[in-house]
Amino acid sequence: MRRSFPTRRRFAGWVAAAWLLGLVAVGLAAPLLPLPYSPATPDLANLTIAPGQYAAHYLGTDPLGRDVLAQLVFGTRQLLFLSLPAAAVAVAAAALLGGAAGYWGDRGLRLPWLLSLGLGVAAWVWLQPPLLAGLAGAAAGVAVAYLHRWRLPVPLDSLVLGLATLLGALPRLVLVLAFAAGPPLAGGWLLALLALLAWPDMARLVRTQTRQVRAQPYVEAARAAGLPEWRVWWRHTLPAACRPLWTYAPLALAGLIGLESTLAFLGIGVAPDTASWGQLLSQFRQAPDAWWLLLLPGGLLVSTMLALQVFARSQRK
Amino acid sequence: MISWLIYRLSRLVIATWAIASVAFMLSRLSTQQPEQVAFSRSDSIGPRGSAAVLLAGEHAMRHRLGLDVPLFYVSRRPGPPVRWQWNGTHNQYHFWLRQLLHGQFGLSYYDGQPIGPRIGAALRYTVPLMLLALLLAVSLALLLAQYMAAGTGLLRRAVLLGLLGLQALPLFALALGLLLLLANPELFNILPANDLSSEQASFGNLVAYLLLPLPSLVLSSLPELTLPLVATLRHELTQPYATAARAKGLSVRQVLRRHALPNAVLPLVVQLAGLLPNLAAGAVVVEVLFALPGMGRLMAGAAYTQDFPVLLAGVLLVAAARLLALLAADVVHYRLDPRLRAALA
Repeated sequence: MRRSFPTRRRFAGWVAAAWLLGLVAVGLAAPLLPLPYSPATPDLANLTIAPGQYAAHYLGTDPLGRDVLAQLVFGTRQLLFLSLPAAAVAVAAAALLGGAAGYWGDRGLRLPWLLSLGLGVAAWVWLQPPLLAGLAGAAAGVAVAYLHRWRLPVPLDSLVLGLATLLGALPRLVLVLAFAAGPPLAGGWLLALLALLAWPDMARLVRTQTRQVRAQPYVEAARAAGLPEWRVWWRHTLPAACRPLWTYAPLALAGLIGLESTLAFLGIGVAPDTASWGQLLSQFRQAPDAWWLLLLPGGLLVSTMLALQVFARSQRK
Repeated sequence: MISWLIYRLSRLVIATWAIASVAFMLSRLSTQQPEQVAFSRSDSIGPRGSAAVLLAGEHAMRHRLGLDVPLFYVSRRPGPPVRWQWNGTHNQYHFWLRQLLHGQFGLSYYDGQPIGPRIGAALRYTVPLMLLALLLAVSLALLLAQYMAAGTGLLRRAVLLGLLGLQALPLFALALGLLLLLANPELFNILPANDLSSEQASFGNLVAYLLLPLPSLVLSSLPELTLPLVATLRHELTQPYATAARAKGLSVRQVLRRHALPNAVLPLVVQLAGLLPNLAAGAVVVEVLFALPGMGRLMAGAAYTQDFPVLLAGVLLVAAARLLALLAADVVHYRLDPRLRAALA
């Protein structure tokens, strides 16, 4: 029994992966599938039809007469083209920001004096400050640079941690409410917003991991061998530090899917005619006895989230 | 202890101020100008006039909402000769901060009424809901975790599976499921599910209406509280002191309650600080779904209508609640953990 446990977990992982791959395939092939109705066109003769009641609507219709099967299929695309890229962007941002913050800390990364001078000149040209304020700022800059021996440290760690804390101070849903108020956002902006909300947790994880990996002898050996800093970071530290992301990324994706469907359910940030599972679930409020509007998208949502969790657990060594 | 508390409090105040300021600036940077939002609403009511009349109306609206003064202390006019201007204290940010310090949240863009009373009325529904949910969730989690850590059996595995399933379920789907089960005319119609604001809101009525939102909030926050606690309790049971207690003749349950729980409860305290704002976010979903006239529905409505002052007030309240909860968690942690007391003394 005990010996069979890892095998069972691996089997569950395979089932979960198969389910997720199936969703991806359905989402990609959605425009090619022979669906009798499109997700957006209402069939006004058949409102709130139960599955099997009318032959051509295999899974029934919602209170606006839109085909449930088509909406389910096209809702998969929302997952595929919104939540998945957002999670990918968030993972990449978390790896880079968290990795850099953990590796260089507050004092490790120093700007060469030529670059700081260039930045100062660029700031002057762009801002064109009043003469006195500008001179005062320049004097302060020179004083700080002199104190740091002309090589200004970049407080990467404080910046990344501060930003993460600021973003983490509020629940994601409240932040989305504040950011996405008003007319529906264009797809790219919503994606960016979701990614912005998802990166801080993972960045903290990568940061802690990087600090541990950094102290390993092989990293020290790489630096002693004279490799440039960025190469030690990119080739030797980052891959090891990003390993826990493999288990964490599916969970982050599950969180984003939940958030995205909650938004679609509330009708915030997403156009009301976008086919998605959350939007379909919100139709259930108009017709509280239409069980198929709850059970079908709800079942898909739950099984996808469960599959992601099982998949994440099967990745853990 | 006192100096540490003062230090923490001052950091909290600074963090709240930073969050509020960022939210304020973002709200003024929105693509659609606020006075247009307000004006597009008002001009459909009044008689349509000439362009000059409309413009005058817009100016009056800007003036009334305080949008005709500069945004910040310093303003920069772009253009071939860039001009910097010092606006003094006569700016929107200063006015907003000052009225906030006086305990006022400003005027709503939507109807031009002061926001404070509306928020007060909304909080009367939301605060009891959230506190009850917090209390219930924590006590249930404590009981359930002790039960689950005490052994392994079929029933316990079923409970574990149920908790894992609940964890996978977004709150709104869970609440919809409860609605389908409990307030359905075709199944059991035992709970009310219609609008509370339209009826006489007596205390008994309120209790009846909280019966559906409360379980959704409690159930949705139960897994994240219980599962880590079970893991910690199981770990504590393997420690030598637990074995010693067992050897003295205590039952597993007694060991769990008297010896393991005090040690395992510390991470839970830290978690509680995050639970309160999460419940606030959950209140948005639950109140919209069950049509409770609380803070969450107020915020969701403000998000639909781009009523930024209301949104800002909500964000500020949630942020303050979160930061206060963090502080409270720290204090409780300090009271519970003698090692921390020794370190800070």
